[in-house]
Amino acid sequence: MMGKAQTLETLKQQVAALETQPLLEDTESYAAPAGLLATPRGCVHEVFADSLANAGSALGFALAQARRMLEPGRPGLIVLQLKSDAQEIGLPYGLGLKSFGLDTAAIVLIRTDTIVELLWALEEAIACRAVGAVVADIAYPHKELDFTASRRLALRSAASGGSVFLVRYGRHREAGAAKYRWRVAPSLSASPPFDDRAPGPPRWRITLEKGSLDVRRRTAAAGEEYLVDWTENGLVLADDTNSRDRAVVLPAYPALSDADPAALGDRLSEAG
Amino acid sequence: MLTLPRWATDCLKRADPALAASLQRSQSAPSLPPFGGRGWGGGPHAPNAQADPLPIPPPEEGEGDPSAGSAPDYRPFVLWEKQKGAMRLVAADAAASAFGLAPGQSLSDARAMVPDLEAREIDRLYLEQVFADFADWHSNASPIVSVLTHEEAYGDLCLDITGASHLFGGEAAMLEQLTTRLRALGYTVNGAVASTVGAAWAVARLLPGRIIAPGDESKALQAMPVSALRLEQTQIEGLNQLGLKRIGQLYERDRKSLQARFGLSFLLRLDQALGWVEERLDPRLPIAEWYAEHRFAEPIGLIDDVLMCTHDLAVQLAARLEREGVGAQGFHLFLYRVDHKVMTLSVNASRATRDAHHIGRLFAYRAERLGAEYDAGFGVDMIRLAAGSISPLIATQTGAFGLDDGAQGLDHLYDRMTSRLGPLAVVRSKPVNSYIPERAMKLEPVVAATPDDPVASMPVAVPRPMRLLPHPEPITVIAEVPDAPPASMTWRRVNYRFVKASGPERLGDEWHHAGSKLQLTVGSAEAAQADDTQELYFEEGRTTRDYYVVEDDGGRRFWLFRLGLFGIAAEPRWFLQGFFS
Repeated sequence: MMGKAQTLETLKQQVAALETQPLLEDTESYAAPAGLLATPRGCVHEVFADSLANAGSALGFALAQARRMLEPGRPGLIVLQLKSDAQEIGLPYGLGLKSFGLDTAAIVLIRTDTIVELLWALEEAIACRAVGAVVADIAYPHKELDFTASRRLALRSAASGGSVFLVRYGRHREAGAAKYRWRVAPSLSASPPFDDRAPGPPRWRITLEKGSLDVRRRTAAAGEEYLVDWTENGLVLADDTNSRDRAVVLPAYPALSDADPAALGDRLSEAG
Repeated sequence: MLTLPRWATDCLKRADPALAASLQRSQSAPSLPPFGGRGWGGGPHAPNAQADPLPIPPPEEGEGDPSAGSAPDYRPFVLWEKQKGAMRLVAADAAASAFGLAPGQSLSDARAMVPDLEAREIDRLYLEQVFADFADWHSNASPIVSVLTHEEAYGDLCLDITGASHLFGGEAAMLEQLTTRLRALGYTVNGAVASTVGAAWAVARLLPGRIIAPGDESKALQAMPVSALRLEQTQIEGLNQLGLKRIGQLYERDRKSLQARFGLSFLLRLDQALGWVEERLDPRLPIAEWYAEHRFAEPIGLIDDVLMCTHDLAVQLAARLEREGVGAQGFHLFLYRVDHKVMTLSVNASRATRDAHHIGRLFAYRAERLGAEYDAGFGVDMIRLAAGSISPLIATQTGAFGLDDGAQGLDHLYDRMTSRLGPLAVVRSKPVNSYIPERAMKLEPVVAATPDDPVASMPVAVPRPMRLLPHPEPITVIAEVPDAPPASMTWRRVNYRFVKASGPERLGDEWHHAGSKLQLTVGSAEAAQADDTQELYFEEGRTTRDYYVVEDDGGRRFWLFRLGLFGIAAEPRWFLQGFFS
């Protein structure tokens, strides 16, 4: 009997590992730049921004990814934030979300007092099969949000098929069970037509720090860097030549601090 | 009908152990002063009643009060109130009454008569509130509980026991049970059962413990003084002057002349007492049509037990709701504590439901939020689960080929989160008909959703930030020329140099808000005090805002505004209000 149960468990794990890989149709239904977007459902993503001043682009990228996770049977998109963080990084603003291309009536904002409540709500939300994606916007590091917490999230999201985006700030990386870790930084935008001095559509420099989008390593592997524009059609790879001939020199992309590398758990999540 | 003539003093003694202790005389130290004498005086008309030579039995002293007759072993306690400049007694406890103190006396007289009198000023509001809680607790005996307030706002409790008395083994047993329990707690209480409110009120005061059969009201009231009719003092005095002292004398009188003399209200009271005119009770709690309840032989205390019982009740209630084809959106849990307090827990569902498992879970989460606030006191001896906001709910068949749009799952999720985190924590943004950015969107609880305002819609093309600071933060800005877009800013002590900007988008004041205060303050209270925009009012030109979308050399996009126009405002100030993605 024990042997049977163990075999069953092993098979279950294998199936779960297969299910979290991107499907062929997913990767092929999107064009080359969208290959970046073809993340599978049911994963935990960490989206890091270097500082609180970059909060807009981090949330933008997380919501852009989350929007893809919604489908007819899974209409729920939930954004979580601590009440005390609202003045630090700003509340998600309905009119802004609308102009970003999201339906504000479908987005539910959860504002909790403590990080424990936030993690509870996160787990509760991701366990619901009608929720497509959950975006947790956490301004500061908390000791409750540790490897155990992210591992729990990873297991829950793998079980239910919903995706979790943990938007976090700073250069320090902790051990986490997230399958993907992104680093998002804003970049100087292209000018809109007819107005050289006005800001254009959002442009982000995105680095995939952990995880790989394709088993065959065709699209994106860890460490690859992208420059993308957010347009009404979704993410589009930016044409870099446009900005190169400008007088403005792009600031050097700051290297990660010499914080301890997050060795533990870096590859653990891939077991499913 | 229950009347508690000494509620004011009894309640204070029970609520304040220090008071009860101070009242005890040193030579005897019983843990609780033996109250519970079946005294019936204490109302303002008590002297009148005593003056009448009637075949009504005198107040039975000494039955439940071993100390009656002799000097009581605790200090007398009275409450006083300032009436027309004089300090007069308004309530006296049994010991004080034994010394001959009665309401209406002046406090100095009373002090002279009884030197070691304990006197306090009356707090009517407090007494009323405590009595209201006390009344609510009695809804465990009958669903319709009402406080009669025509004399005092506390002290008279009326229960409609129609269809409820058999649960207690008959009317007499029910009356006995209710009054015994209160007496054991130290309240002076009298009760009576009658088929009209007026008769019950009179009998409870003058012939406590009686049960008047339907139709016997006129006989029972015949020998009673007219003051038992809930009349005004002037009406009673007028009747006494005419020699009409007993209610029986009024039966055969000409009604027209009585009405001419004493007004319609007099006839109404008489007819109400005799059951010729219907009198409605004003129930304190809304009457729950759908409820399930459970009484315990022994009180329970643990929240887990309460929740387990709640789940059982939810199953019962759900079965009833299902049989009738309805669902409910509000669920209320009443926990009746042994010490006459009711705890209420309410949860709301965003759509009508009768899923017992879901209801049970909502209460479990609600209880989690309760945390340390949960206090069962000496235990809970009855639990009632009531359903409100009933609407028809047709049973649907779940089929293999049905499409699940996830709406129900989401609603259940939001219900659970609301019950755990509170309704203000689970919100959705909703447009409001305003151009002022911080007003253009409001956060609305998901469980209390209201229909959308069709007028409130902003064109999507207007650039709006993805994040908005709840309070705009003041920044220092350098602009090349006064009306040009800013060239750099300092925000939170960091300097940002802008390379691109668009704007301005000028937002004027809303004229219909002229005169209302601007609220531009940064989070903390100290900052709010330091900020002088607190006293800034909407005013043409001075509080007009020019919004700019700016991008710094790192590609971060901010939303800034300048408050006030150059030339009109003395010193325009700059604020940062949002971040673009």
